[in-house]
Amino acid sequence: MNCLEFRRQLGVDPLSSGADFVGHRQECARCAEAAARAVEFEAALRRALNVAPSTQLAESILLAQATQQQRGRRIWIRRGGLLALAAMLVLAVGVGMRVEASPLSAQAVEHLRGEPEALTLSQPVPAESVREAFAKRGIALRHDVSGEVVFVGCCPMGRHPTVHMVMPGNTGPVTVIYVVDDRAKQSEDFQRDGWRGRSVPLGNGTLILLARDSGQFDRIEAEWRTALQG
Amino acid sequence: MSAVNSKQRQFDALVRSLSGDLFRYAYWLCGDEALAHDLVQETFLRAWRALGDLRETNAAKAWLITILRREHARLYERKAPQFSDVSEIDIPDERDTVQPESAGEDAVIRAAIHRLDPKYREPLLMQVLGGFSCEEIARELNISAAAVMTQLFRARQKLKVMLGDGNKEANVYELS
Repeated sequence: MNCLEFRRQLGVDPLSSGADFVGHRQECARCAEAAARAVEFEAALRRALNVAPSTQLAESILLAQATQQQRGRRIWIRRGGLLALAAMLVLAVGVGMRVEASPLSAQAVEHLRGEPEALTLSQPVPAESVREAFAKRGIALRHDVSGEVVFVGCCPMGRHPTVHMVMPGNTGPVTVIYVVDDRAKQSEDFQRDGWRGRSVPLGNGTLILLARDSGQFDRIEAEWRTALQG
Repeated sequence: MSAVNSKQRQFDALVRSLSGDLFRYAYWLCGDEALAHDLVQETFLRAWRALGDLRETNAAKAWLITILRREHARLYERKAPQFSDVSEIDIPDERDTVQPESAGEDAVIRAAIHRLDPKYREPLLMQVLGGFSCEEIARELNISAAAVMTQLFRARQKLKVMLGDGNKEANVYELS
């Protein structure tokens, strides 16, 4: 390789490791100087190109993929569900069975009975864990809730995927369950088995609050409205 | 380990290891941070659907960049540009108006890269950010390897001229 060929290669690929290129650099002092300058320029170029993405980029991609997959699964379930429904109707007609769906409020109280230890916790969980739990359910929280959360878990409630949390308060702990896939038609307060409750349609799902005392419901509902809807 | 879990794990690893590189490539391709973010996300969503086509993990970056370039082209087909081509973006001459937050060599070089004609910028991005060889760039851009070499040479030469580093040698050793 002569000087002309070397300089051409230097402009094309300053970091070339070809044997001819490396050999010439070692033999020719002037070309070695030019190569040193070119390598320095290349390093500056690489530094300048190195723009940083948002720290949430990877998470948001994974979240989008999980959401897309969930949607795909729902379509599949819906199709499968139609067949199942047809089969159930045939069965119901045949044996005179009546199908009655349990309301979300009843399912939430039932779920609470299954996880009583959640109400005894007092150590706050990091806001990141709450965000992660929602992310697992395909939901990106727009804001963190300002109130403390002492328990968070991704629980199935009957057939519904939920995020189950507990928030402490002056009048006792409040259980907050966000049902991801079922949106109530309207907000309503209810009482069931000694629990006071509220169900609120939020986003694509329903926020259910349960406590012995409903005094903190307005504040907690407002916090979750902001967290989920911005 | 089920096939579904294995696919998900492979995808997670790709996203975590390559989304930054893809973002950089997308950013310099389109010149807009938010658009670059969307492009990278769309690229990975397409990659998820076609993950079975990826035979070698080592080839993942080149494969993703190919998807990203197609997605970028598709974007321009779909939405007759609501955003400007980078060549049309009016980038202030940072050499004359150096602000405290943009001071420094990087900002000056970035402004020069933005000004570079896309036909020079893209092969350079493919080489520097994508790690493509001249032959791979040639295949991707559907031009000859010799043309790629010329464009890479001129891209660096033009950048140096824009940066005031006239580099007389570059003119002397212009590729034939």
